[in-house]
Amino acid sequence: MRIVIAEDDPLLREGMALLLRAEALDVVATAPDAAAFLEAVDAYEPEVAIVDVRMPPTHTNEGIVAAVEARRRLPGLAVLVLSAYVEQAFATDLLAHGSSRLGYLLKERVGRVQEFLTALHRVAGGGTAIDPEVVAQLLTRSRPGNRLDRLSPRERDVLALMAEGLGNSAIAERLVVTDGAVHKHIRSIFAKLDLAPTDGTDRRVAAVLRYLEST
Amino acid sequence: MGTAALALIVLAGLFAVALACLAGVGLLLVPAALRGLRAVADRERSRLSRWGPPIADPGPVPGDWRAALRQPAAGRELLWVLHHATLGLLYGLVGLTLLFSVVRDLLFPLYWRLLPPGDAAGAGLGWTTDTWPGALAVSPVSLLWLGLALLLIPGLARLQAAPGRRLLSGDPGTDLALRVAQLTATRAAALDAHAAELRRIERSLHDGTQNRIVAVSVLLGAARRALARDPATADEVLERAQDAAEHALAELRAVVRGILPPVLDEHSLPDALSGLAAACPVPCSIEADVPGRCPASVEATAYFVVAEALTNIAKHSRARHAKVTVRRTGDRLELQIFDDGRGGAVEEAGTGLGGIRRRTEAHDGAFALSSPRGGPTTMKVSLPCGL
Repeated sequence: MRIVIAEDDPLLREGMALLLRAEALDVVATAPDAAAFLEAVDAYEPEVAIVDVRMPPTHTNEGIVAAVEARRRLPGLAVLVLSAYVEQAFATDLLAHGSSRLGYLLKERVGRVQEFLTALHRVAGGGTAIDPEVVAQLLTRSRPGNRLDRLSPRERDVLALMAEGLGNSAIAERLVVTDGAVHKHIRSIFAKLDLAPTDGTDRRVAAVLRYLEST
Repeated sequence: MGTAALALIVLAGLFAVALACLAGVGLLLVPAALRGLRAVADRERSRLSRWGPPIADPGPVPGDWRAALRQPAAGRELLWVLHHATLGLLYGLVGLTLLFSVVRDLLFPLYWRLLPPGDAAGAGLGWTTDTWPGALAVSPVSLLWLGLALLLIPGLARLQAAPGRRLLSGDPGTDLALRVAQLTATRAAALDAHAAELRRIERSLHDGTQNRIVAVSVLLGAARRALARDPATADEVLERAQDAAEHALAELRAVVRGILPPVLDEHSLPDALSGLAAACPVPCSIEADVPGRCPASVEATAYFVVAEALTNIAKHSRARHAKVTVRRTGDRLELQIFDDGRGGAVEEAGTGLGGIRRRTEAHDGAFALSSPRGGPTTMKVSLPCGL
């Protein structure tokens, strides 16, 4: 897996490169800012880009803008955006054109190496990785009295994991239940929320996120 | 006396303009004439401010003659100039005559022989003399004039100044309105400075400290994986993690120091500034004369200004020497930061100088920067200490 890392903090940049290389992943280039990142994307045509949201010069949303631009130049590029804090607006911007091959995670998740690698592979494989924190914010800020109240606590858990981008078997593993049970929960959730059943995790994530954003 | 003479000239000018107004063409001259009047009145205001409670100036004269005439200050200045050019001038002349008489009679024995005979009148008392004793006898008369002068001149000065104090000070409402506008502006600046300060702290925490701690976490994660796979490489990764943790601590200290330097709590401002000078890579001397303590916010601002200025000097000036002077004069804390570097510092280039200005103005203080290309650079900041 060919990876480009864009992160302005040198220590963190080198730390991530070291971590990924130790996992036998191919970090082909690292970049300290958006311009260098786009050059590296052009030069190396990587499969995955790991991009920090805040980079010089303005330290606001350079990473998001650069990620969108990189995907325009290199369609099919998987992008995992890392952020120091959860900004739901960033997630919305990023997911505006679909959620396939996209991830938005808090920086500190990188330290949980196994989970981070799982998310990385999921995004590279065409899936989605949304930080649990983002999902939690979406769930808590939804207005009271909406359809989410109809869900059982277990169904809420399943919904949250779906929104993070996990597939059925991953959800089953996380909640320590069978695949069949997860299937049943998901059918029930879609019925209660009045969502059209979709196949494919990717479209499912988009539907769930859209739903959560609108409530 | 000087302003009274000027007042007479201006009065003559105003009279001419008024006559011209009757003919119609003078209307165009009204604003100019009023500006002349305002200039003389401002001279009198600053003269009166030197000798007594300060008198605020009412601001510029509007260009349109109707608006210029409608200004309440203009009407009062007209009244004043009428008074000052006549009675004011008279009081001045009386005062001067008294002083002149003192000198004239005192020196009479020295010059009486030069006067044409028969015209050698002995001063103001009216007797004529053409003998030495007579001339000498005139001299003591100057004592009489001196006494009169000492007795009358202070009263005359007060009489002359009184209309000015009454008519030029503007109504108290204007003063307060100006002050309110000024305070509203500085209050907004204070809030801006506050928000900018919070943004700075947020940024240094997110982009600095937090990144370091994330790096620690990433490296620890890598070390754990390495431990499982190849324990020999784990130690190297752990060492990096420790470095990152130490960086995080250093960053955190810097952020905290930027919020409110703890040293200000325990020591005086000069001590705190000495600490800054010692930490500055450019040799820096401190000259401090600050008896007692100023309010905490003023000291914190002064500290911030010096810290920021020294950072700028170290980063951009290529100076060989820097000097910080801090002095308390009356109710103001005056700071001056000098360096012999290459100059050319501009406020727009970086956020450092802008931050200094914002924080200074938030305290109702004054900020001035002189930095010609080629140096040297001098920054002056003056902060009111309240009280």
